[in-house]
Amino acid sequence: MSRTATSVTKVTVLEKIRQAVIDRPAQIAAAKKQGQKVVGWLNYFVPEELLLALDVIPVRVGVGGDEQLVDIGGRYISTKNCVFVRAAVGLLGEKKDPYTPLLDLLAVDASCLQVFRLAEVVKYYFKYETLILGVPRSFTAPEGQAYFRHELQDFTAALEKFSGRKLEQAKLKAAIELLAKIRESLQYLYQYQSQDYANLNWRDVFEIVHAGFYLDRAEYLKLLQELIAELKELPEDKSKIPGTEPRVFISGSQLSPGDVKLINIIEDLGGKIVGDDLWTGLASYLDIQIAAPTVDALADGYLARVPHAALPYLNISTDSRIKKLKELLGRFRAQAVIDHTLRYCDPYTFKAGETKDILNNEGFPFLEIHTEYASSDIEAIRTRVEAFLELVRTRNDVAGGI
Amino acid sequence: MVTATKVFTYPETIKADFLKTGGLKFGDGTEVSAEEIWRFMTEEGPRRFPHAFDASANSIGKLSDDVTFFSGIKRAYLTLTMKDRLYKAHDNGVPIVMIQGGQTLDPYYAAGGIPLRPGYIMQWARDVEEGLNLREIDNRGLEILESGRRKVSIEACNQLAAHAAVANNIVPVDLIAPYLCLRCSDMSFLVETHRHKEDQRPKYLVDFPINQTGKPWTVDYLAEQLRGLVKEVAKLSKKEVTDEVLRAEIKRQNKARKLAQEIIELWWSAEQPPLNSTDFFSIPFLANDFVGDPQATIQVLEETKKEVEYRVQNKIKGTGVVDNAKRVFVCGSCVGPNSTSVERAGAVLVGRDDNFSCNSVLVKEEGDPYRNLAEAILAFPYEQPTEQRAEWVAEMVKKSRADGVLFMYNWGCNYQTAVGRLISDIVKDKTGKPSTFVEVGELGRSEATEQSENRVEAFIEMI
Repeated sequence: MSRTATSVTKVTVLEKIRQAVIDRPAQIAAAKKQGQKVVGWLNYFVPEELLLALDVIPVRVGVGGDEQLVDIGGRYISTKNCVFVRAAVGLLGEKKDPYTPLLDLLAVDASCLQVFRLAEVVKYYFKYETLILGVPRSFTAPEGQAYFRHELQDFTAALEKFSGRKLEQAKLKAAIELLAKIRESLQYLYQYQSQDYANLNWRDVFEIVHAGFYLDRAEYLKLLQELIAELKELPEDKSKIPGTEPRVFISGSQLSPGDVKLINIIEDLGGKIVGDDLWTGLASYLDIQIAAPTVDALADGYLARVPHAALPYLNISTDSRIKKLKELLGRFRAQAVIDHTLRYCDPYTFKAGETKDILNNEGFPFLEIHTEYASSDIEAIRTRVEAFLELVRTRNDVAGGI
Repeated sequence: MVTATKVFTYPETIKADFLKTGGLKFGDGTEVSAEEIWRFMTEEGPRRFPHAFDASANSIGKLSDDVTFFSGIKRAYLTLTMKDRLYKAHDNGVPIVMIQGGQTLDPYYAAGGIPLRPGYIMQWARDVEEGLNLREIDNRGLEILESGRRKVSIEACNQLAAHAAVANNIVPVDLIAPYLCLRCSDMSFLVETHRHKEDQRPKYLVDFPINQTGKPWTVDYLAEQLRGLVKEVAKLSKKEVTDEVLRAEIKRQNKARKLAQEIIELWWSAEQPPLNSTDFFSIPFLANDFVGDPQATIQVLEETKKEVEYRVQNKIKGTGVVDNAKRVFVCGSCVGPNSTSVERAGAVLVGRDDNFSCNSVLVKEEGDPYRNLAEAILAFPYEQPTEQRAEWVAEMVKKSRADGVLFMYNWGCNYQTAVGRLISDIVKDKTGKPSTFVEVGELGRSEATEQSENRVEAFIEMI
C-alpha cells in the first residue's frame, strides 16, 4: 500500500482498487470451490491470455522486501541466488500469504534461469505442480522464434490437460482484447502520473500495476477504466509546484510488491519518480502486438516485445531494450536515472555499467543502487540518493529549472 | 616471509623407460620425439614456467607425483606447450574461439578453429609472461580477474577473468562463441559484456534449450544453431565444411569420448586406484578439451588406457594414494578440490559429474551430423532437469563406490548452487552417502586456500 499521501484531491477509484485487492483471496477461494483452478506464474513470458482463455485464474507470484522469506528460501536454494528468487522460494514454502495456498499449478518461463531453478526447487521440496515454458536466448533468430512457437504449443497442451478445457479461438480472442485494453489503460496511467498537476503519482500507479497481479482481469479493467474516467473529470492538482522536484526514472530489474526501500528513500528526499522500465512495472505492458487469436501469434507477439535482460543481445547499437529506455526517458521527461539491481541478479547488474555510459552520453545523470532486502544498507543508500538528487537539483538550477 | 621453493623434478632413473614410449604427432603434421619431450619437461619447461614445477601442496595445478605414469608426463607436456601451439596456429590463420566448459568441440575443430574454455584462456593469459613463480602467476591471474570485476561486477563467477583476458587483448581470441545455458547462467551475460567498449571481434551464441526432455523441436533448434556456429568459425578459417567433414570430426572425437569412458570404467574396476586423483581427473578433461590438439591428445589417451590396463592387471596403485583411501565423488560447477590436499587427508577423487557428463554420450556417426550433435548434447546427463541429473549422479556414486559426495561451486555461481542442496538430498536419499558443500572463491589460486581445504579435509575425516 502507498506510504505517502497521493494528492490533495482524493481519487475514489484508487480506494476501490485497494479494497478489491483485500477482497481478492476470498473471491479466489470461492471460485476454487466452484471448480476453477488457480495458476501462479513467475518471470516475463507466460502469456496470461492463455490462462484466461482456459478459464483458470492467473496470479503473478512474488513479493519483495521481506528478509525473513529470503532466509527461509536460502535454506533450499542458495545464498548466491538473488533475493527475489530466495524470497519467492520462502514464500512458496511458507504458504503464509493469502495466495500461495490457493495455487494449483506454478507456471514459470525460463527467461531468468534462476527462476527456472526456483521452480525445480519448490517442485521437489514443497510438492508444487510446475510447468516450464522454454524461452530462446537466440530470440531474434528464425530458429529461436520457431522454437518458442513449439514451446508455447506444448505449454498450451499441458495447460489444456491441467484445466480440462480445450483452447477456443473465440475465448482466446476475447482474452487478447481484454489484456490489450489493460495494457493500454496502464500506459495511459503511466503517462498521466508523469504530468505536472496529476492527481496520481508514480507510486500509486505502481501499486495499481501490482493490484493487477491478483485481481480478476475483467474486473481489473473495469476499475482501470473507471479510474481513468474519474481522473479525466478531476480538476488538476494545482497544489503542486512543477520544477521543484528532480524527475527520477527507475530503471533495472524489478521492484516486487513490498519492496519499497528505495522508493521510500527517493520520495523522502524529495525526488519525484516519473517512470520505470521494471519488469514488475511498465516493461511487462509494453509493445505486445498479437496479430491473431492463435498460439503462434501469441508466441510471436511475446517474443518481439521489449526483451528481458536475461536474454542476451550482442549488438549494443540496436538493442531494443536500451532504445526503449531512451524513449521512455523522453516520454516521461525524466531528468535522472536511478538503476536498481538486486544482489546476484546478474543479467541486470552486469549491464549497469554500459547503461550508465550510454545514458551519461545522452546527458542523464545515472546512479546505480545495488541492494537486497535487508535494511542494513538503508543509510548508505540514503546518502548516495541524497547526493545524487542534490546533483540533479544543482544541474536543474544551472539550466534554469525544468 | 619468503620461503625457498620446493622444485618438482623428474628423476633421471625413469628417462630410459620414458624414451621408449615414443613421441607425439600433432594435427598440423609436426611431431615431437620422446627425447624432446623429456628435454622440455626437465630443462625448458622449468625455466619458462617455474610455477608449474613448484612442488608445494597448495598448487592446485601441481604436476602429478606419479612419475612412472608416462602418459601423465606427456599430458603435462601438452598442457605446458599449449601456448606455443596456439600462437603458432593463430599466426597461421587458425581462429581461436572462446567457448564454455563442458560442451562438445566437434563443430569448432571441423570448421578449422581451436576452441578454448575459460580455464585454458586463463592459463594462456597467465603464461604470456614467462619465468613467473607460483606467487607471481597467482598475482597475474588476480590482476586480470580484478580488471574484469571493475568493468562488470564483483558478483560474476571467476570465469570473468577469462573474459577480461580477452577484452584486454592479453590473448588473441578471434571469436567468442560458446554454448549457453549449459551448466552456467553467467556465460550469456559475460559474452554480452564484450559488446561495449571493446574491439568488435565477432560473437555468436549457441543456445542450449533447457527442460528439453521429450521435445523433438529442441533438436531442430539446436541443430540450426550449430549450423550457424560452423558458418561463423568457417568464415574466419576460410575452410569449406561439408557434412562429411563434420562427420569425420565426430568420429575422431567419439574416439576420445570412448577412451575416456573405458579408462574411467577400468579405474573404477580396480581394487586399488591405479592413478592418483590428479591423473585420473585429467582424463575426462583431455577427452573433452584436447588442449588445442585433438590428434595428440587422443594419442595420449590411448597410451593412458594401456598404462591403466597394465596397472590394474598388476595391482599397481597410483603414487600418492594411501591404502584404503576414502573415495570422494565431486559434484557441482567448474571447480574441484585440490587433489594433493585430498590425498594428504587420506582420500582419493573417484568421479566428477561435470566432466564425466560430456564424455558419457557418444554422437551418432551416420546421418545429419548437426542433428546428431544436437541430440547428443541434449542428452548430457548433467544438463537434464535437476531431479533426473541427481538420479544419474546417484548411479555414478554407486558405480564409483564413493564414500561421500562433495558439492563444490564457484563464488558467484547462481545456476549450480541453486540446486546444490537438491542434488545432494536426492543423492543422499538414493545412496545413503553423506555430502557437503564448499564454496570456492580462489579458483586457480594457490594462496589463501586454507578455508576451503579445511572444509574438504574435515569432510574426509568425517567419512
